[in-house]
Amino acid sequence: MTNTTQGVLTPEVSPPPKKTKADKGFLGRAGVVGGVLVVAIVVALLQSGSGLVVWQSVVTGILTGGLYGLIAMGLTLIFGVLDIVNFAHGALLAVAMFISFGMISATGMHPYLTLVIAIPALFLIGAAVHRGLLSGTGGKSLENQLLITLGLSLLLENGLLMFFGAEPKTIALPHDFQFPLLGAVVAGSRLYAFLGAILLGALLYWLLRRTRLGTAIRAVAANGPGAELVGINVRRIHTLTFAIGTACAGAAAALAGPLVTVTPTLGEQFNITAFVVVVLGGMGNVVGALVGGLLIGLVEQLTTIYLGGQSSLLGVFVVFILVLFLRPQGLFGRKTA
Amino acid sequence: MSARKLIAALGACALLATGCGGSAPMGAAGAAAGRDEGPVKIGALHPVSGSNAVDGQQMRRGAQMAVDAINAAGGIKSLGGRKVELVTGDTQGKADIGQSEAQRLISAGAVGLVGTYQSAVSTNVAVVAERNRVPFVADVTASDAVYAHGYKYAFRVQPGSKVIATAAAQYLQQVSQQAGKPVHKVAFLHEQSDFGSGAADAFTAAAEQLGIEVGPNISYDATSVSDLTAQVTQVKASGADVLAVAGYYRDSLLAAKAIASVKPDLNAVWGVSNGAFDQPKFVTDAGDLGALYFSTNYHYDATNPQTVALREQYQRRYGDPMRTGAVLSYDAVQVIAQAVDKAASTDPRKVRDAIAAARVAPLTVGNGPIQFAPNGDNTNALAVLMQVQDGQVKQVYPPEKAESRPEYQVTWRP
Repeated sequence: MTNTTQGVLTPEVSPPPKKTKADKGFLGRAGVVGGVLVVAIVVALLQSGSGLVVWQSVVTGILTGGLYGLIAMGLTLIFGVLDIVNFAHGALLAVAMFISFGMISATGMHPYLTLVIAIPALFLIGAAVHRGLLSGTGGKSLENQLLITLGLSLLLENGLLMFFGAEPKTIALPHDFQFPLLGAVVAGSRLYAFLGAILLGALLYWLLRRTRLGTAIRAVAANGPGAELVGINVRRIHTLTFAIGTACAGAAAALAGPLVTVTPTLGEQFNITAFVVVVLGGMGNVVGALVGGLLIGLVEQLTTIYLGGQSSLLGVFVVFILVLFLRPQGLFGRKTA
Repeated sequence: MSARKLIAALGACALLATGCGGSAPMGAAGAAAGRDEGPVKIGALHPVSGSNAVDGQQMRRGAQMAVDAINAAGGIKSLGGRKVELVTGDTQGKADIGQSEAQRLISAGAVGLVGTYQSAVSTNVAVVAERNRVPFVADVTASDAVYAHGYKYAFRVQPGSKVIATAAAQYLQQVSQQAGKPVHKVAFLHEQSDFGSGAADAFTAAAEQLGIEVGPNISYDATSVSDLTAQVTQVKASGADVLAVAGYYRDSLLAAKAIASVKPDLNAVWGVSNGAFDQPKFVTDAGDLGALYFSTNYHYDATNPQTVALREQYQRRYGDPMRTGAVLSYDAVQVIAQAVDKAASTDPRKVRDAIAAARVAPLTVGNGPIQFAPNGDNTNALAVLMQVQDGQVKQVYPPEKAESRPEYQVTWRP
């Protein structure tokens, strides 16, 4: 397997001296992104002629973007370590949302309390999926795992349809509130989801950076055979990583529950966006996924201002294509050999 | 390398998601096997599986109840009391499958077809019906395009999207004037496919003729939208006093959430062919958010005692409230069965001529009996204005179909 992943998952082999150059490049890129954003916002302002509309879009974009980031973090982790393009990620998110919905309607528990069930449940499901379906595909052709994850997503969606029916369901947050933020409105549920995403993102970063497990995961990502030689159980790490990535979807589901309408096909809504975020942030880069999520959230909202609300995915895909052309390794990834 | 891999994968995904769209092999024109003996077959095509399965099942049951009622009353009298049988097909909500299922039912000897819930499916079924010269009576099909082709064998019970949107504009003007707060500017929020933009265009044309300004016209992608706060903020900034919404269920619920957060300075929220605002489920899902929302749409006739009895019977039999779609299917089966009786024949061409001359009392809201214009549209189809009042969807306008008076106001403004 080639070394495909960089960024957070890369072990810090080289000591600081080289860092300054990398930092400069990073700062430069961040400056360009920031500049483009400022221009985009100014153009939006001219286009709509209303500061309030643009400000609301920016606020909504950032808040929604946090959630996209959390979903994409799981996806990018799986991609970075296992080299698996997991098309079932969205469907697993839908499964988590139905677990959350089921718990709430059965016991009347608080929506955010379902986090403690959705995360471990999805962790276990992820582990089972990897062990049962995907662990044998390593080294075989890409189509194998592609078709498996795609098939799994169809299976999960239709299973949900069978058990829960197509009727859309809603999760209500008790005592949800709104508060004004310099004229824009922010719903409490959306703010909680955003903060939860940031918190879990930080937790994941800490896990990868500061724990033995994280070190092992990064080692496997960087060099599987090498990691095996120094005594790391690569298969176990693969399963754990897939499980952690899936647990991210579980967390996102519990946080997003009160914001969306729960349907079996809900995953499709997030899947494509999450893939774009993964590419934007640099494949395998967990922090990149979070920042990429915020950017895509903003792009989506600003597109609705430019194009009078035609498909906001259009803007997202324009960014996607630009990134692929100009910087295929993503904003935060480093050039691969 | 990895980027390329991901693109290839995404491409494959997109390809699979859109489906191959392969057309089913078309058999020879209907063999009409068994049409002259045994029961008279009426074909019902609905999405019984897939994401619209709940409505599809409702509609199939509605059609079955019509058949049962006809048989209980002695079958087709002019044919010596021959029984009627419902032959069913599942379109899965897909146009190509609807097409092949229509062909199958025609080959099995159906004298007429009812269906299909989705306009795209109806478009294909209408082609098959026309080619085989078998009448197709649409129960739910909003798009007007099918009825602009000059087909001879396509009919429709429900009011088309233009009829609904035009009524929505007229009702809005009348109701707002009666309330002493005449409407001057309407912002229109709609999903961007044929359904939503068609409704917006038709509404705009009708409203502008009445001297009502329409704008801004804000569209969104119903399949991917996850928040409408920014769009509703645009509405607020525009100074419109009414917000019209044409969307499907999920996105209309998102719109209600966004309206509740942004609280624009509106006098009314006005659904146009809206897929949520007149559903009992919306009332429970949205709770206080949806109170006093208006919706102009086709509807079962809540003022007709026969409809009330039918809905009670449905509730007893299936443990679920009967939706408008199912009542429309009931009407559509009635149209075909009465035409067979009148034609005293199971020859689909004769049945077609009898349908073209039909006058059938509807259980859905109408200005009079169901009768068809040369293009196949029900000339007496009528859209009705409904409003969420005290946790219930009530018909409020026009007065002769009203269960309650319209309350022209929103909850968040005194």
